[in-house]
Amino acid sequence: MKLNYLFPNNYKKIGWLILIPSAIIGFITLILELEPNSLNFNVPTIFIDELLGDKHFFGIVNDNILNEILGTLIVLSSLLVAFSKEVSEDEYISKIRLESLVWAVYFNYAILLISFVFIFDLAFLWVMIFNMFTILLFFIIRFNWQISKLKKVAHYEE
Amino acid sequence: MKNSIKVERAKKNITQADLATLAKVSRQTINAMELGKYVPSTVLSLRLAQIFEVEVSEIFILEYSDWD
Repeated sequence: MKLNYLFPNNYKKIGWLILIPSAIIGFITLILELEPNSLNFNVPTIFIDELLGDKHFFGIVNDNILNEILGTLIVLSSLLVAFSKEVSEDEYISKIRLESLVWAVYFNYAILLISFVFIFDLAFLWVMIFNMFTILLFFIIRFNWQISKLKKVAHYEE
Repeated sequence: MKNSIKVERAKKNITQADLATLAKVSRQTINAMELGKYVPSTVLSLRLAQIFEVEVSEIFILEYSDWD
């Protein structure tokens, strides 16, 4: 009961403070395909599949790192938002947390499967990009919705 | 499973919030238990029994449907 893999409650606020701006900037960057020259760097890579070239492991590529920075910020901050303790984290909240997580995995894979079967080629790349974040996003929405419902109900009683 | 948390609470004359503080859970959890929406863990059941100074079996009553 002590070990629950959750961050302290105040990390949730930090998560939101990073998540909201990075998500907005990330979305704009994606839509407008922004790649500022100042962020072009030679970076190490694990796997290379060159256009009209060969495939090999490990090497150096020139890449615009803006999307890597934003993606990393979004994922890490989403994790903080999703997995920071509630103010009154107890066993009932844990149950809701687990249910929301299961629901989010099902929902995410349902959407991914539909997209996988009906979206092709480069368009599917968009699906994969969004899918990096959606499982956490669905969890955050579902969990917070359940918690807010709980708080409303509890106000009526007594 | 039925429970008599609300009755025991009335006997002790304490609010949901008071009981929540004593049992170290949120008020929502007490509320959910009273409404039969949540079945507490053994630890929480034992805490409640100790707070109400009764046996666990006096607060929680097993029903036929619990065997399904």
